[in-house]
Amino acid sequence: MKNFERYAFPIFFVVMAILPTLLDPRWQAVAITFLIFAVVALSQDIILGKAGMFNMGQALFFGMGAYITAILNSHYGWPILATIPLAVLLPALFGIVLAAPIVHLRGDYLLVVTIGFNIVFVQVLQNNLGGVTGGPNGIFGLDPLSFFGTQLTSQLAVYYFAFIVLLLTLWVMNNLEKSKAGRALHYLREDHLAAESIGINTRVYKIFAFGLGAGIAGLAGTVFATQYAAVSPEAFEFIVSVLFFSIVLVGGSSIPGVLLGVFVMFVLPEIFREFATWRYFVFGFAMILAMILRPRGIWPATFGKIPKFLIKETRHGA
Amino acid sequence: MAHNELILNNVTKRFGGLTAVDDLSFTVADGQIYGVIGPNGAGKTTVFNCITGIYKSEEGSVQWRGEEIRGMTPYQIVDRGIVRTFQTIRLFGQMSVAENIMSGRHIKSSQSWWHGIVPTLGSRRDEKENWLKVQEQLEFFDLGEFAATPTNSLPYGLQRRVEIARAMAVEPTLLILDEPAAGLNDKETLGLVETIYKIREKGVTVLLIEHDMDMVMEITDYLTVINFGKKIAEGTPVEVQANPAVIEAYLGSEDDDDE
Repeated sequence: MKNFERYAFPIFFVVMAILPTLLDPRWQAVAITFLIFAVVALSQDIILGKAGMFNMGQALFFGMGAYITAILNSHYGWPILATIPLAVLLPALFGIVLAAPIVHLRGDYLLVVTIGFNIVFVQVLQNNLGGVTGGPNGIFGLDPLSFFGTQLTSQLAVYYFAFIVLLLTLWVMNNLEKSKAGRALHYLREDHLAAESIGINTRVYKIFAFGLGAGIAGLAGTVFATQYAAVSPEAFEFIVSVLFFSIVLVGGSSIPGVLLGVFVMFVLPEIFREFATWRYFVFGFAMILAMILRPRGIWPATFGKIPKFLIKETRHGA
Repeated sequence: MAHNELILNNVTKRFGGLTAVDDLSFTVADGQIYGVIGPNGAGKTTVFNCITGIYKSEEGSVQWRGEEIRGMTPYQIVDRGIVRTFQTIRLFGQMSVAENIMSGRHIKSSQSWWHGIVPTLGSRRDEKENWLKVQEQLEFFDLGEFAATPTNSLPYGLQRRVEIARAMAVEPTLLILDEPAAGLNDKETLGLVETIYKIREKGVTVLLIEHDMDMVMEITDYLTVINFGKKIAEGTPVEVQANPAVIEAYLGSEDDDDE
């Protein structure tokens, strides 16, 4: 497992870095989708996998980031990259405000409440709130990426934008694993009462998980809006949240598990076109099987790393 | 700083019509090993839950170093130096021994929430320092070889030790042990007794509930005996053993254990 991580991640990064140059535009688009959805699934993993909160409204934060970018770009003429701070901060703040009154709920109640939020969000978009969301058609005709005045119209630019966002997300998740805050999420997921009794303010860290997960999903939303130069409400329906939820559950709360889940869910259907209509069917069965055979996911979470100097050879037969 | 003293005054905790703890008062002095004993269902664990903030007692006061801690949350109470273990071991089962002990460093760590997103030199140093503290606990409790082992794959006796190590990682002033010898064999119980003495030598006050009478009589300096939530006796082990009310509570009723 250790060796796997040592080699697999660099190989993955190198492959992903050179991949788009080998692909035709259609497959580049698929690869971009993979990157974006991987980021959203990883953000969901922070809330569901690490902190163990049943959030089934991740598409809300994803969509909010996308819409903020779209609105600021199309109505106010902001360059795409300039919308990033708000596309991250507003969903994060919204996540915190939403989470604060509900994180104490038991898993199943939390699930229902987050589904509710997601549905309300899509309704708001469709009803053209404040005349800026564009109603059921959404917003289209966004500007391409521009960087210090240089227009980056090619799909390759979007790919690398998405790739950088994924790398950033992986970096944050790596930092989280090696921090007090990240461990606190594991502790409260494992045993809430024990976590409180050892001095962890579980409420604060649950809200933190929601805020962070929402912010990262918002950033993915910006990339999504850039890729299609458009946003529309149906991309952020509740069913999309269900997909992210199942990816984390089935894949397991680990980076390889989540990436695998995204691959199966969003890339395989493109490779096997005839599989596309079957994907929910297949994924549904995969979920059932995974939950029976591997209840902690296909690639279960490995918890935070402990420093090497603490690991000693086991004295066998001691 | 006020004296490290825990004073319970007329603490009463009710669950519906049941009074689990009834007008209970006792004082744990600095540096004591203090025992709370009583037959099953006497309300001992409820008392501990009232001290550690898991329950809030309806009446009475719980004072620690002169401060009223009744109604505080568990983590606020931990922050004031009171840490507990559980009767039914509550470890973070899928996590390693070292990570479990690291949870005790949470409240001592200087890291903020945002260090989880962007680390700084300071947070890296803090991280390293706390892992070194974990190493100290691993050595103190002789758990070094299990550092990377998930706790749910350890035998029961070791899990108990990990739980105490986790609590000690907080560097508490008052350590509360809820039936630490439950489920241990004789050899492990002897080890536990030694550990408790070593913990006291570090200047930590120990408050414990225990069923193992031999052990309680051996290690505690002072005892409170409760039955049906009420205090029926207090005193040194010798005094308590001679108290007729205690003898009756333990021997006079048919369904109590006397291990």
